[in-house]
Amino acid sequence: MAMASVSSARESLQHALTNRFLPNLEYLLQGSILDSAVEHLMHRLKGLCDNVDTSPEPFHDLEVCMSLRQPNSNQPLLLRVRRAMDRDAPMQMRYLGQPEVDQRRPTLVRSCMDCACTNGILDFLTEMGFRLEFEYLAKGYMFRKGRMKITVSKLIKIVHGKQQDMANEPISQSYIVELSVVAPTGQENVGEEMRVFAEQLKPLVQLEKIDYKRLGPMP
Amino acid sequence: MSANSVNISVETTCENQIREIGYDGTELYQPPPTLSESLAKCAARIDFSKTSLDDLKKEEKSATEAEESRDKDGNQFQESLWPWDAVRNKLKDAFTEICVLSDVISIAKDKRYLVLDPLLEDGDDTKPIVQVYSRKKAISQAAQVLLGGAERLRNAHSEQRSRNISDFHIELLRLRQNWRLKKVSNAIIGDLSYRTAGSKFNMSGTFEVTKAEELADDDQLQGQNSSSSSSSTANGMPIKAASALRVIVPAELQGVAYIKVITQKDQEDLCSAQVNLMGHGPNITAQVGVWQKTLEFAQNVLFCKELFAQLAREAIQLQAPIPHVVIGNQIRATLLPNIQLIISLCHSTTFDSSQPAPINDHDHVLEHSLHQLLREVHYKNSHHPFPHPSSAPLGPSKKRMMAGPMAADRETLMDMTKSQTILEQIIAQAQHIFMRKRTQYVLDTLARDVKDPQIVSHWNAMNSPTMSCVKINIVTHGYDAIGRTSLVIHVKERSLKCICRDGRVMRLSYEPQELRDLILCQINSHQISCLVSLARCMAWTVLSNSNHLGIGKVEPLGNASSCLLASPNGDRMIAVQIRCDPQIDVKVYIAKSPRQDFFPNPLVPEKLWENLGGSFKEVRFDKIEGKSFLNKMEFLMASLTSNTA
Repeated sequence: MAMASVSSARESLQHALTNRFLPNLEYLLQGSILDSAVEHLMHRLKGLCDNVDTSPEPFHDLEVCMSLRQPNSNQPLLLRVRRAMDRDAPMQMRYLGQPEVDQRRPTLVRSCMDCACTNGILDFLTEMGFRLEFEYLAKGYMFRKGRMKITVSKLIKIVHGKQQDMANEPISQSYIVELSVVAPTGQENVGEEMRVFAEQLKPLVQLEKIDYKRLGPMP
Repeated sequence: MSANSVNISVETTCENQIREIGYDGTELYQPPPTLSESLAKCAARIDFSKTSLDDLKKEEKSATEAEESRDKDGNQFQESLWPWDAVRNKLKDAFTEICVLSDVISIAKDKRYLVLDPLLEDGDDTKPIVQVYSRKKAISQAAQVLLGGAERLRNAHSEQRSRNISDFHIELLRLRQNWRLKKVSNAIIGDLSYRTAGSKFNMSGTFEVTKAEELADDDQLQGQNSSSSSSSTANGMPIKAASALRVIVPAELQGVAYIKVITQKDQEDLCSAQVNLMGHGPNITAQVGVWQKTLEFAQNVLFCKELFAQLAREAIQLQAPIPHVVIGNQIRATLLPNIQLIISLCHSTTFDSSQPAPINDHDHVLEHSLHQLLREVHYKNSHHPFPHPSSAPLGPSKKRMMAGPMAADRETLMDMTKSQTILEQIIAQAQHIFMRKRTQYVLDTLARDVKDPQIVSHWNAMNSPTMSCVKINIVTHGYDAIGRTSLVIHVKERSLKCICRDGRVMRLSYEPQELRDLILCQINSHQISCLVSLARCMAWTVLSNSNHLGIGKVEPLGNASSCLLASPNGDRMIAVQIRCDPQIDVKVYIAKSPRQDFFPNPLVPEKLWENLGGSFKEVRFDKIEGKSFLNKMEFLMASLTSNTA
């Protein structure tokens, strides 16, 4: 029986990056819809997306953003840790890079690395020197179509000191709709595919690329 | 001044208005307006909002007219206290307006807060009558269109076959409720493949929907149909007067197909496989009853083709100890030595039942299993698990997601990628069915042949496609309370696992003889153990018993078991030996003590040696009264128990 050569993790990662099958780019379109109209959107998405019989899939996640001040640069390093509240699943840690400045692309493109981790990640990051930036709860539904993932979720502010979920108040009277694809570099038609899909959801929700710089610095 | 001119003097009447007439007739005149007053009056008449002279003139005219009428009426009041008030107000208003205008213009020029946009020019106000005429014309055109459509519908309705036309639309609606349809230029195309359900088969499953032609033109149009139905692209079919609708399926999907699964024993020659002709002949089959049936059959044909193609591919790729054979539309796989599984695709386009009956019965359960397995593959292709939390990547299964945090090693990861192919699964299921049937046969024949202890087998109602369990109880009728031997047998695909009551686990192969031997051995030990318990009940002492006596001839099957009993007062002994070679053979011997044939002799002088017990004499066990072995033993023990102390 032939034994495959054991390569280090670094080599495998390098190999995956060069051969372009490690998904490390996130293509994103965002929009919002009022509470009163979200039922129509859900109905529409149920018809457009895959697996009509099992959709929509509810989710209830807690996202915590940790930041680390770096001595070399002004920008702190941000890492997001997301945890599923309604079921037992490993926590996910995510790094999001700066969005690519390219006006021609129909979607927001930024580098993205996801990693599953054990429950001690928050303590680990705190020990490393990260501090809590912000946290919020996201509760909603997700759909998929091919490699596109569509989430319709309500963001809920966490009020410390209160245990019940009822006590947590939503940030606004609307739902945030996100259409995202995580793909390796070099795939050209992802943006086009997403744009065509976003067209089908107009005029219920306008999914567009949001320029974060214009929104202003983070408080 | 010339001499002929006449001096004309123009004078005002100099009559002032009468203010008051006294009682004595004296008239009080209003003093004439002073210069300032007259200036005030003139100034008051100036309207600063009027810009053009024409307007002013008009104003003057109308003002003078109004004044004349007012003069005629009579009194003219001077109302304002300060005559310049009105003028001042008007000037002030004008000034304010000009200031505002200049502010607005300066702001607009800046273009930071206010931008001037050109207005669309209003069309000239047309006269209302023109609008009325144009609207009337437009409405009449719309009415003509609607009337034309209504006329067509009415004509269609009033024709002889009005029922059939509405049938077409209603049937098209029903067709749409069950199948996916799409309109491509003139024709209606449908899709009956499993592509949206997760199939990756590349045979197209498109069909065409047309109105069915009249019966008189059937032959001619069928000729047209066959030439155009071989390609399933959009064709403009001549739509004649319609009856119901007709579906045209591609030629390779016509007819009826099913997967025939046969388990065959001892088929020596492989070349005599039955190969069914696929029949690409002329389009003999028209509609199979209604369109629904046609489409269902065509879909089934497509499914069977996909299934067979998948099985054939796997048969060639898999490496089995005895290689699988694929001939034409048959796949042969070996389940067990001399037992073969034959899967064939039977596709018949003719409807004659002249085909010979298959050698063995077609196994419906396995066919259904095959269908289910392919559907499972489709399901796995289309339903991927959702990521939780939602930022996790789409795609990996739950196990893969846990592999990272749970530090799975290389072996575990490689195992995750392995999965069983459809052919392997169906072979496993077929093997299991065969093992189960064989086990049942062995147990049933044993139960029929061996009457003495009764063999009772309870099969589990719930089992999996690759494993069943049976619990076997060996009891003697009438002596259930004395003792019972039970064992559990797990029937797997190629082997059996037997678990005895005492905890022994034995693994048997697929040979039926092994199970038979096992049960016979169990019967042996059952008899002896029940005998031991029975002896205790009868107050006999068990001197010894053994399950594996190494005496006598070497047997093909295990060893004999034996038991040695002594009567309550010790004067009798019973020795029992049970063999199974291959039938169960019981030998019983009795000994008496003291022995009758002891005579003191010079070697052994004392009398007490007669108590050592005599030789064993065989009992003709088959002549003893009793229904079963234990029954006979009971009688024997009862008869040998003596009253004397």
